[in-house]
Amino acid sequence: MVAFRSTDASGRVTGLLFRCVLYSLLALALIIVDKRYAHLVKIRQVLSVAAYPVQVAVASPFQGWNWFRDSVTTRDVLRADKARLEAELRVAQFRLQRYEALEAETQRLRALRDRTEGVTDRFVIGDVMNVDLDAFRERVLVDKGAGDGIYVGQAVLDSGGVFGQVARVGQLTSEVILVSDAAHAIPVQINRNGLRTIAVGTGETNRLKLPYLPTSADVTAGDLLVTSGLGGGFPAGYPVGTIAEVKRDPAQSLADVDVKPAAALDRSKELLFVWLKPQAAELLPPPKPVAVPKK
Amino acid sequence: MMRETRIRRMPMALSAVGALALAVVPLPAVLDAFRPDFLVLVVFYWCIESPRAGGLSLAFFSGLALDVIHGVVLGQHALALTLMGAWATHLRLRIRVFSVLSQCLTVFLLLTGYQFVLFWVDGATGNPVTTFGRWLAPLIGALLWPVLTNLMGKIHER
Repeated sequence: MVAFRSTDASGRVTGLLFRCVLYSLLALALIIVDKRYAHLVKIRQVLSVAAYPVQVAVASPFQGWNWFRDSVTTRDVLRADKARLEAELRVAQFRLQRYEALEAETQRLRALRDRTEGVTDRFVIGDVMNVDLDAFRERVLVDKGAGDGIYVGQAVLDSGGVFGQVARVGQLTSEVILVSDAAHAIPVQINRNGLRTIAVGTGETNRLKLPYLPTSADVTAGDLLVTSGLGGGFPAGYPVGTIAEVKRDPAQSLADVDVKPAAALDRSKELLFVWLKPQAAELLPPPKPVAVPKK
Repeated sequence: MMRETRIRRMPMALSAVGALALAVVPLPAVLDAFRPDFLVLVVFYWCIESPRAGGLSLAFFSGLALDVIHGVVLGQHALALTLMGAWATHLRLRIRVFSVLSQCLTVFLLLTGYQFVLFWVDGATGNPVTTFGRWLAPLIGALLWPVLTNLMGKIHER
């Protein structure tokens, strides 16, 4: 093994213990301050800007490849795409015709029932950066940050349904925690009968579970789960997933329910950051200070 | 020798940034759990190779960078890397004369210690990751150690 030069071998490292203790105490202090107080949020935002070049450098070859692939598609492919998209647009417009009327009607009904669940106001589209954050947590990095008005706890959707929520905001980027993360829970209801419960992530990308339903609950495979809007974090009525399997063990008091998420958690590249309508938000109790998004 | 009087920090910084990039390169989900801690290996290398160039400072700030990039509690990787970097520095004279196999075993021990500190801080801050997957990284990292040291040695000789 010739990897190490022997010339340096006799050099004494002065104050190793001192520096080790110093840095360790500094790190411990950082951990405690970051965990307990909100002071480090700004520092972290600044540091995340420093990390941005590395993240961009890593993501850019993939983006370059995608760009290259897009630029060399043939005319036939583009024509086929155009025809397909036009057909899809026709269908979508047809469905949209009644949307305005339905939304007004929904608002009226909500007002009648004095419900306070959130209604979406506006949204911003962010791109998922091609960067792996942590192998054991379900999180993605998105190229929109505090500069775009993103805030911690903001609901994130994709074209299929609810994707997750913002866990941490940097100046240029933000970190989204997926609904499938083991530390994530979202208030839902079953669309068929309005039964309310909470969907909890499992840490596996394509599985959520409903751990709080009794064995006698009216739930069957194939039921659609939508956000209930309770808690105020998510707008109401967006699909979260479909029930994949219900296991009822008579010896247990709670059913074992698996849910397949509606959003393409492992594939979506474009995400929608959603703002709730202010009047809906005003009726909610003020949010707790969100220095530490996860406990 | 001239090289002895002047401590060169450039290769150190460049290799650390390269390893940091490798830590976030997207991998298929199956391979992701097998990703070795490249930056940790690089820090160990510099702690052993030229401890007077500030291996421990490198360890602390590399850890901080990992904290920011992984989005975990600030100071977690910094603490783990500082402790294990100091240990590596303490053992450096012995590690240099070890056979390849003994070096790998020592590095495996250091990497496991690193993961243990991470595991402990995760638990203490209320985010335990209890999959067995995280204990695979030290094994892969230790297997990668001889390759890395030879590669770094070649770059360093230039």
